[in-house]
Amino acid sequence: MNSRIVTVLLAVALGFELFLLAGRLSVFHYPGIHRDYEPDQPIRFSHRLHAGELGVSCQYCHYAAGRSRYAGLPPTGICMNCHRFVAAPWGAQVAENKRAEEEKRAPRQLKSDQIIKIYRSAAFPDSSQPRFPIEWVKVHNLPDFVWFDHRPHVSVGLTCQKCHGPVETMERVRQVADLNMGWCVNCHRDSNRSGVLGKPVHAPTDCATCHF
Amino acid sequence: MAAPKTPGITEPFPEDEPFTRRDFLEMAGFSLAAGLLGAGCRRAPVIQALPFVVPAEGIAPGEAVWTTAVCGACTAGCGILVKNRDGRPVKLEGNPRHPVNRGGLCAAGQASLLGLFDERRLGAPVIRGATATWGEFDRQVREKLQGIVQRSGKVVVLTRTVTSPTLQSMLDRFRSLYPGTEHIAYDPLPVSAIPDAHLSTFGVRVLPRYRFERARAIAAFEADFLGTWLSPVQFAADYATGRDPDRSSPADMSWHLQVESRLSLTGAKADDRLALPPQGVELLLAHLAQDIAQRRGHLLPIAVPAPPVPSEEVKRIADLLWQHRGRSLCVAGINTFRIQVLINVLNFHLDAYGNTVDLSRPSRQHLGDDCALRRLAADLRQGRVDGLIVWGVNPVYDLPEGDELARIIADLPLSVDITPRLDETTQVATFVAAESHPLESWGDSEPLEGVFSVSQPAHPRFGDTRSAVEVFAAWCGDHPDGQRWVREYWHRHILSRLAGIKSTADFETTWRRILLDGFAETSPPAFPDLSLRVPELSFEDFRTPPSGPALVLHPTPAMLDGSLAYNPFLFELPDPVTKVTWDNTLQLSPTTANRLGVQDGDVVRLGKSGREVELPAAIVEGHPDDVAAAAIGFGRTESARFAHIGPRWLFARESTNSDGTVGVNLSPLVEWRGDHRCWTVESINLEPSGIRKPLARTQEYFDLQVRDRLLPKGAHSEPVVVATDLDTYRQQGLTGAPADRREGDDLWSEDHPSPGYRWALVVDLNLCTGCSACITACNLENNIPVVGRDEVYRNREMHWLRIDRYLSRRNDRLEFTFMPMMCQQCAHAPCETVCPVLATVHSEEGLNQQVYNRCVGTRYCANNCPYKVRRFNWFNYPYARTGRERLILNPDVTVRTRGVMEKCTFCVQRIMAGKARAKTEGRPVADGEIAPACVQSCPTRALTFGDWNNPESQVARLMNHPRRYYVLSELNVRPAVGYLAVVRNPQLEPGRNPATGESGGAKHV
Repeated sequence: MNSRIVTVLLAVALGFELFLLAGRLSVFHYPGIHRDYEPDQPIRFSHRLHAGELGVSCQYCHYAAGRSRYAGLPPTGICMNCHRFVAAPWGAQVAENKRAEEEKRAPRQLKSDQIIKIYRSAAFPDSSQPRFPIEWVKVHNLPDFVWFDHRPHVSVGLTCQKCHGPVETMERVRQVADLNMGWCVNCHRDSNRSGVLGKPVHAPTDCATCHF
Repeated sequence: MAAPKTPGITEPFPEDEPFTRRDFLEMAGFSLAAGLLGAGCRRAPVIQALPFVVPAEGIAPGEAVWTTAVCGACTAGCGILVKNRDGRPVKLEGNPRHPVNRGGLCAAGQASLLGLFDERRLGAPVIRGATATWGEFDRQVREKLQGIVQRSGKVVVLTRTVTSPTLQSMLDRFRSLYPGTEHIAYDPLPVSAIPDAHLSTFGVRVLPRYRFERARAIAAFEADFLGTWLSPVQFAADYATGRDPDRSSPADMSWHLQVESRLSLTGAKADDRLALPPQGVELLLAHLAQDIAQRRGHLLPIAVPAPPVPSEEVKRIADLLWQHRGRSLCVAGINTFRIQVLINVLNFHLDAYGNTVDLSRPSRQHLGDDCALRRLAADLRQGRVDGLIVWGVNPVYDLPEGDELARIIADLPLSVDITPRLDETTQVATFVAAESHPLESWGDSEPLEGVFSVSQPAHPRFGDTRSAVEVFAAWCGDHPDGQRWVREYWHRHILSRLAGIKSTADFETTWRRILLDGFAETSPPAFPDLSLRVPELSFEDFRTPPSGPALVLHPTPAMLDGSLAYNPFLFELPDPVTKVTWDNTLQLSPTTANRLGVQDGDVVRLGKSGREVELPAAIVEGHPDDVAAAAIGFGRTESARFAHIGPRWLFARESTNSDGTVGVNLSPLVEWRGDHRCWTVESINLEPSGIRKPLARTQEYFDLQVRDRLLPKGAHSEPVVVATDLDTYRQQGLTGAPADRREGDDLWSEDHPSPGYRWALVVDLNLCTGCSACITACNLENNIPVVGRDEVYRNREMHWLRIDRYLSRRNDRLEFTFMPMMCQQCAHAPCETVCPVLATVHSEEGLNQQVYNRCVGTRYCANNCPYKVRRFNWFNYPYARTGRERLILNPDVTVRTRGVMEKCTFCVQRIMAGKARAKTEGRPVADGEIAPACVQSCPTRALTFGDWNNPESQVARLMNHPRRYYVLSELNVRPAVGYLAVVRNPQLEPGRNPATGESGGAKHV
C-alpha cells in the first residue's frame, strides 16, 4: 500500500482519537480513577442538611464503620427514627400552619415527595404493604482485588472527611479523593512520619495490607 | 514468472522510504494507547448498594456471625460453628468446646457446606418423576400407608443410624400411628458386629466409646480409627493427647500397633505395623486373645491354626498389652462377629472396660443392625414387605445385593425415598421427598449417650424442602415445623435431665444458652457391672489356605460411604496413602504387582464368583503381598455432572468415566459373613486387562532416599523428614537434625526487618495423621478452584496446602511420615528475587506476599521455589464461579483469574481481620487469636500459628523446641514454618520378624 495513504489514515485516526479525548479533557482522569463521581440518587438526600446543618454524627447512620469492614448504609429503620415525626421541611410546615391559621382551617400535614419514598420503603404507616430497600447508588467504589477495612481507620481517630471530603457541605455526595493506590499509600506514609492527631501510628504499607 | 523481491529477506530494508516500518509501529502504538486512554475514561458500571429496611439486631454488613450446628456429613455428630457473612454460610469450623470433635472437623465435614449450594438438589417433592406439592405428596403417601395398615401389611422405615432424639421420637410416633411398621437402621460403613458382640458377651447391645486418650498401648486390627472408623475426628483428638514424647515420663507416650492388610492412614502413623493378609490379621488376634485369657486363668474354647508370625512375636505383643493392662486398648475394624467377640475378650481381660473402653457414656453414632438388614432383604425377596420408606441411606448403591433390591423396590406398592438429591435409590422409588440440607433446618443429635447437640438453620431453604422430622410429622398429621418439634422434645425430655435446670420456667433462657453453646450434657450414669460370656467360635475355615489373593475393601477419608459424590472438592482431595485423585485404585504390593506384570495405572480385572470389575493399579510399598485393597464409596451415578468440570480447551479430557461415574462401585463385592457385611473378600482372581488408565495423582514418588547420582556434584542434602525413637530421644535428644542454616551462600546479606508481628507456623509431624482436613479447609477458605481430573493429571492441581506422604527405611523397618507442605514464607525467599514485576515481595510481618493484581504470570517464582508450593492459574476455572455454587466463595479473598500465580498466604485475610479487631479494641493481637484455616481445622492440633516476635507465644516456644527443624534448611532460605521431628515408640524388634515375602507371611514394615 502506498505509504502516503497509510500516513493519512493514521493521521485521521489520531485526530479522531484526540477529538474524542478533547471532550473529556475537562474531567480528565487516568483510567480507573473516578474522582468527582457524583451519581444521581433515588432520594434527594442532603448530607449538607443532615450532617452539616443538623449536625447528625456520621456514625449515627453509617453505624457499622467502627465494627465492620464496611461503613454500611443506614437501614430505612434508621431514617424512620426521626422521619416518623418529620415528614416535610420544618420551614414549609410552619408556613403551612401559619397559612392555615390565616385561612381559618386545620393545617395540613405536609409530606415531602422525597420523604414519601422513605415511607414507601418502610411501608409506613400502612404496614400491610410490602417493604423494600432503597436502591442507593454506591459512590466510593474500590476494585475487587482491594480489601479495605473501615475499622482501623475509625479506631485511630481519622475523621471521615479525610477520605470522603467535606460531605457535610454536599447536597449530593461526590467522590473527592482519587481512591487509587498511590493516594492510599501516600497517606499511610505521611501518617507514619507525622502521626494521626499528634499520636504516632503504624500504618502498614505492605502489599498484603490490602491485596489478598 | 520472476520471484518478487521481498524486502528484509533477500535484500536489506530500504532506508530512504519516507514512511518506515518503525514509523508505522510508533504510530500504531500511539493510536492504541490513545484509544485505551479514551476507553479508560469511561465510567465504571453503576454499583447499587441496598441497605436493610429494618436494621438486623447485632448484625453489621460485612461482619461475620457465627452460629452453632451439627455436621451432617456422617453420623459421628461433630459440633460445628457456621460462619455466616451477610446471610450466607461461607465456612464450617469445628466447635472448640464440643465434646466429640473439640474444634477439629474432617475433610468431608468441611466440604459438606457445598451441599447447601448444590444447584441440583431437589427443590420440591417428586411423585413418579413429576414435581408435586407437599399437600398432594402427603395425601397420596398417607392414603397408601393407611391402605397397607388396613390390610395388615408391613411397612419398613429403612434409615441410617438415627442420632437425633427428636427424629427418633417422631419415628416412634409414626410407628404407633401405623401399626405393622418396622424401623430398621443400618450404617453404610458397617460396624454392627461390635454392638452384636457386646450383646453376646455382656448381654447389652452397645457401641462403646473408645477412649484413646487414656490408652498407653493401642492394638488396632484393620481399624482405620484416625481416618474413617466410627468417629475419626474424635479419635484423632484423643489419640493425639497420648502422643507427646516430651511428657515427664516416657510411659506417657502411647505405643500403637497396627495389624492390617493394606496401608491405611492409621497404619502409617503406627509405631509398629504388621502387614498381613486378612486371615493372618484374624489369626494373630485369636492367638493374642488366647494368650491374654490364659494369663487370667481362662481357656478360650477356640481352635486356631498356627499364628502368622513367630510365636515369640505374639508373646511379645501380648506382654506389652498385659504390661499396660487397664491402660491398653484393642480395636478391630473387621465387621465379623467372631473378631469382635475376640476383641471383647481381649479388652475384658486387659481391664479395658471402665478405663479405655467406656460404657458409661457409650457411642450412639453407629447403631445400625446388619442382622435386621439381612432379614429385611429376605422379606423383600419373599414379598413380605408392602412399603419401604428410605431416609439417609442409599440401599441400591450401599448393599451388595443392590441391583436385586432395585428391582424389588420398583415393584413395591409404596416406596418413598427421603433424600436431598436424586441417587440410585430414588430412581426406583415412586415417591421422592425433597430433604433439606442440615444447615437449612432444625435438628439435634445425641452422638454420645447424654451428650445432646442442637442444630439451628444458618440459611433459609433454597427450595420447598423438609427435614426428615418434618416429613414424618406431616405423615403423623402434625404440623411440619422442625423448630417446633425440636424445641418441644428438648423442653419435655432433655432439659429436665440437664444439671442445674429446676423448673420449666426458665426454658427460654436455657434454650438460648444451649443454642449458643451448641450442646448440653447430662451427668454420666454409673458404669455397669460386666461379666464375660464367650460364645463358641471356630477358625476351622482357616485350615484350608485361600486359593487366591484376598481383596480388602475400605473407605477413604474423603469419599467415606459415597454419599458425598456431589462434592468435587472431595474427588480432588488426594487419597492420603496413594495420593490419587478422581479415582479409586487397586492397591498392590510391589511384589504382587511384579508377579501380575502390572505397573501404576495398568487396569487390573478383578473377579469373584462371576462378578468382574476393572480398576487401575496403584503400587503401594508396605502393602502385604497377595492382597489387593480398593476403596468403596466411588462409582456413584451422581457424579456424571462432573464430566466437564475442568477448563474447556482443545485437549481437555473428561473427569469421569464414559458412564459418568468417578471410580468404580465395589459394594457388589462386599460379602455377608454370617449376619454382617464384611469388607474382606477371600480368593479373588486378578489379571491384567492390558488397558492403561494413567492415574491423576499429586505425588508419584514416595521414597525419601535421594540417590547419590541424582544429587548435583558437591551438593549436600539434609534429611527432609527427621525421625527418631522414643528411647533415643529420651537419652540423647534429637539427633540427625539438620542445622538451621549453612555457612555461606546467603541470598541476601540482611534480613527483612519485622518490628511488629512476625507470623510463623509450626507443624508437629508427630501429630499429623494425614487426614487432609486442612487441605479442604484451605480450599474453602481461599476460594481454591476445582480443576478436574485431567488438570491434576497434568500436575496442575491448585491446592495451596498439600500433604506429602514419605517412606523411609530405618533398621529394616518401613516408616511413613505425613508432611503438610505449604508456602514456607521464607525470609530469604528465592521466589522474591526472580519476580520481574515485584508481584511477590516480603512484608514487614514476615509474610511472603503474593500480589495477584500485579502478577503477569512469568512463573519464574514457581520455578525457583524449592518447596514447589506455588500454583499457577492456567485457566479461569469454571466450577463454582457461576450459578448457586459460587455462593460458597469466601467474600474476603480475591478470586484469581487466568495467568496469575497464587500460593498460601497464612490466610492473611484472617490475620488482617484479627489485627483490625485487636486494633479496634486497642490491644495487641492475643496469642492464638488468629488461626489460619488449616490450623483451626486440625483434629490433632498438629499446627500452631502465632507471632514469632512474642517470646511468650506458643509458636515462639515451639520454634525453640528441641524437636524443631526446618525443611531444606541447607538452602538458607530461612523459612517461617518449623517442623517438629517425628518420635516413634517401636517396641517390636524387626530382626525377629524375617520378611517371608511371597508366602503371605508376616512382613514387618
